[in-house]
Amino acid sequence: MSGANATAGFAPPRTLVLPPVGLLLAWTVIALVLSWAVVPGLFAWHDPLQGVAGEQLLPPSLEHPLGTDGLGRDMLARVVYGARESLLGALLAVGVGLTLGTALGLLAGARGGIADAAVMRLVDTLLAIPSLLLSLSVIILLGFGSINAAIAVGFVSVAHFARLSRAEVLRVRRTEYVEAAFGSGGRFLAVLWRHVLPNALTSVLALAALQFGSAILALSTLGFLGYGAPPPTPEWGLLIAEGRDFLATAWWLSCAPGVVVLLVVLSAERISRSLGARRT
Amino acid sequence: MTTTRRHILAAPALLPVLAALGAREAAAQASPVRGGTLIYLEQQTYTNLYPPAGGFYPNGGVLNQITDKLTYQNPQTLEIEPWIAESWTVNADATEYVFRLRPGVTFSDGTPLDAEAVARNFDTYGLGNRELRHPVSEVITNYQRSEVIDPLTVRFLFHRPSPGFLQGTSVIGSGLVSPRTLALPFDQLGDATKIIGSGPFVVARQVLGRELVLNARRDYAWGPKNHPHQGRALLDSIRIIVSGEDSVRIGALLAGQAHVIRQIQAYDEERVRSRGFQIFAPSTRGVNNSIVFRPDNPLVADIRVRQALRFATNTQEIVDTLFSPNYPRATSIIASTAQGYVNLADRLIYDPRRAVELLEEAGWTLGPRGVRQKDGQELVLTAYESLPQPRNKETLQLVAQQWARIGVRLNVLAGDSGSRVVDNLDPAKTPVSPAMVGRADPDVIRSQYHPLTRNALLQTGGVSQRVRSFHDARLNDLLDAIASEPNREKRLALVGDVQRYILDQAYVIPIFEEPQVFAAAPRVRGLGFEAVGRPSFYGTWLAAR
Amino acid sequence: MRRYLLQRLGQALLVLLAAYTVAFVLLQALPGDAVLIKFLGSEMGLTADQIAELRIAYGADAPVWEQYLHTLGRFLAGEFGYSIRAGVPVASLLAENIRPTLVLAGLALAAASLLAVALAVLSQLGFGWVRAVVRSMPPFFVAVPVFWLGIMLIQVFSFQLGLISVIAPEPWEELVLPVLTLAVPISAPLAQLLIRNLDAILNEPFVAVARAKGATHAWVLWRHAARNALPPTLTMAGVLFGELLGGAVVTETVFGLGGLGGLTQQAVANQDVAVLQAIVVLSAAAFVAISLAMDLLLPLIDPRLATRPAGAA
Repeated sequence: MSGANATAGFAPPRTLVLPPVGLLLAWTVIALVLSWAVVPGLFAWHDPLQGVAGEQLLPPSLEHPLGTDGLGRDMLARVVYGARESLLGALLAVGVGLTLGTALGLLAGARGGIADAAVMRLVDTLLAIPSLLLSLSVIILLGFGSINAAIAVGFVSVAHFARLSRAEVLRVRRTEYVEAAFGSGGRFLAVLWRHVLPNALTSVLALAALQFGSAILALSTLGFLGYGAPPPTPEWGLLIAEGRDFLATAWWLSCAPGVVVLLVVLSAERISRSLGARRT
Repeated sequence: MTTTRRHILAAPALLPVLAALGAREAAAQASPVRGGTLIYLEQQTYTNLYPPAGGFYPNGGVLNQITDKLTYQNPQTLEIEPWIAESWTVNADATEYVFRLRPGVTFSDGTPLDAEAVARNFDTYGLGNRELRHPVSEVITNYQRSEVIDPLTVRFLFHRPSPGFLQGTSVIGSGLVSPRTLALPFDQLGDATKIIGSGPFVVARQVLGRELVLNARRDYAWGPKNHPHQGRALLDSIRIIVSGEDSVRIGALLAGQAHVIRQIQAYDEERVRSRGFQIFAPSTRGVNNSIVFRPDNPLVADIRVRQALRFATNTQEIVDTLFSPNYPRATSIIASTAQGYVNLADRLIYDPRRAVELLEEAGWTLGPRGVRQKDGQELVLTAYESLPQPRNKETLQLVAQQWARIGVRLNVLAGDSGSRVVDNLDPAKTPVSPAMVGRADPDVIRSQYHPLTRNALLQTGGVSQRVRSFHDARLNDLLDAIASEPNREKRLALVGDVQRYILDQAYVIPIFEEPQVFAAAPRVRGLGFEAVGRPSFYGTWLAAR
Repeated sequence: MRRYLLQRLGQALLVLLAAYTVAFVLLQALPGDAVLIKFLGSEMGLTADQIAELRIAYGADAPVWEQYLHTLGRFLAGEFGYSIRAGVPVASLLAENIRPTLVLAGLALAAASLLAVALAVLSQLGFGWVRAVVRSMPPFFVAVPVFWLGIMLIQVFSFQLGLISVIAPEPWEELVLPVLTLAVPISAPLAQLLIRNLDAILNEPFVAVARAKGATHAWVLWRHAARNALPPTLTMAGVLFGELLGGAVVTETVFGLGGLGGLTQQAVANQDVAVLQAIVVLSAAAFVAISLAMDLLLPLIDPRLATRPAGAA
């Protein structure tokens, strides 16, 4: 996708397309969700883990704005308390992919030669093994849990980050100012740190922002396949996956967390776009 | 008192039977129609179709259509009736069985189903075949050898009494297959086209993992003697299609894209019924859906702890919250429809106060985090959810909530099959575990609890290498006695003793009687089920729309 | 050129062996094994002795290096072995599952690029709010869980409207909903890329020239969007094969289709090593072949790429 990066420098009149209201809304959504993660008790008045027997599968009401699940647990509480687990999981997944992948890509791009060849073959190997097999085995090895599922999701994206960052490093290295920095006797690591990394990172970070949303979804897919966090953890992806069996009888169970994920992903994307526009 | 109570409790279990009777009455009004293709949606694909592996429901659903058995267990009365065997004799101590076969029966490859073939089948199921990797059947114990007396008479000899054998010849795991099938190695028996039986249907084609098409055998003329339908099957063919998503199966049924589906969750039953569709919930008649303890683990070694947890488990709440009247609350360790059942509901009461007393007595006091502790150790237990059991994840979570109220934590793990199998063998890792097994013979209790078989309690001497010392000789003696007591009355009395003993020792918390729930379109008639709830499409037909 | 080809071929074989080895190590490290899962699961209720016997028969307790060499040798001889879970030859399992996966993935990729091009063109046309909506479609597409989309599509088009049958469908209707389900998430990154490219291209002088020659705005857009869609789609096709496998497992499960995704999932759950190794070798071979082809083909399609470093995805 280097074609995209080459043209990323042009700033089309995007800000006119979506009025700033959208951006404002995006920030509001993120702020709200973050505060769910920090102080869930302010937003939900029921226990997310303890249900009330006999109150299962209630439709939305004043008492339970999003209804109750099959065990009589308040869905709003589960969505609100799920914010922490979900956001942490997505951040961790992106973090794992970003750090490992960028490190590998940087090493390959900057060193070149044998290191490059070795790293790229490793990356090829990772890409050649079906990602489904890779992530499921990683989860089985580490044990079931939201953190481990996040690591598995991150692990699968390492190869993509590595390829992208390597390409970016190669691009940046060829620019005149980096050549100049090397030429003026700069130490390899210093130049790498000061000039190459910041410039290569822009598009890598753009990928990271995109990955954030897909990480939440990847976690939910794992939940669908039965490899999600163990019960009774409230985690958005898992809530969507578990609620799908009730689509005909209690559609709100999977739609409510689904809409939350949708809004968060859209907002993250909107914000990352505005940040990107400011950077360039 | 006990009898009335039993009837009240058994009443919900009768509902599906009534529904089935209703269907049959309707069937009586319109005469059966021959022909048509029935679409049956399975939740999972079949795996290995070696008949003793028929315990896996998707396998049983296939094998029950394509194989016949020596005998037929009447699903209503549980009596053993003639099928491929016209008659049989058993000696007094149940070590010798002689079966007289019906003449003229052939496998679908043309080979005769004679004494030779029957002997070959049971030699394989009773002894296994090391070379071809055929495992021994769970339902056959103490098997020694067979003797072909004449082309239609076969004798089976046993080392020790084997009173369960007669019923064992009627189960799916004893489906008769052509000698040609038995000559294949185990590793090739997942190919349905290679399973050649004598049943009313024959495998026409398969798409592995996705679809299996069965065609009726035109010359089939040897259905169970007392079956209401005789002759060839009414349907022309059956398409068994795998559809893993609950919502898709139900949606397809209601939209008229399928005729019969397996595995309906309790919360969907009402929706299906209110649209005029039929729900069938045949009982599995075996060991109830339960939580078993592994007393080898020091946390649950003390009988008072186990009793306390049983008192703290509100099974009524579980049944009311998660299930429907098709899932009756357990009143013993085996289903009320099982043979030898004794109503022990008075030992299964919910009494959280008594639970707390017992825990205090046993030295477990409330710690700062709300979890009981003793000598610095917290009372935290772990169990893996069991995927084949209905809503097991929710059941365990509800149990965890109930136990939390008396200060005991239950962690519910969702694990991969490998970890689950390995950890379930280790009492240190899984002090409790969900368990159930279906079979309409008293032998089922032995199957479940004996260390040499399923070993649900994890005693020494079984498959697990991780058990240190737990062994209950008295329990095992009782179980062995069931498997080898030839006198029917005495055998059923022993079954009662085992139920009482296991509950007195608080080894098990029975929760509910597990059915297999099916739904069918209004025009499906004559849908039958064998004794433990696998569908039989032999007498099934499709009424005009 | 020949030396380059040989070098690439050597690399490809290396990657193949590495993928096989990594997968082998990974699978060996998992707790339990296929024999335990198959025979100790509650399906059959075997005794301890019988299980021990079966373990010997399957060589489940042989030293790891011996198993590695044994299976590697078998693979080189073209033997895939048997699936312990399913009880059929691995070769026939693969044969039944490859075609549906290829058809599904191929059609989904084609549908996705069509969708992406349409979105990209629309993003340059129309009124303010239309553009705003169109431009928010790609992130919207990414944000919908595939299984949820699939179930919703079935509920609406099959069960409510009765337009398409998902159970026992006619050949033409079999793939409509699955392809759509799979195409939506794949089209998102493509569309995003195209929109950005178009934004850039519209500022370039040749567009003004084309317009001056009488081309309509829409025509210019369509032509350039379509042409620009090809290289990234092809590049993605290479990378996506593995991902399609993962994405397809959900679609396959929801629609009850056969395919490699579902096969992989089943095999992982049951640690059916013979099946998994075959899948790994197969998909690694496909990956290697596709990326090789991409490296050789892309410069022909898009001369701009000829100057770019190879391997940049």
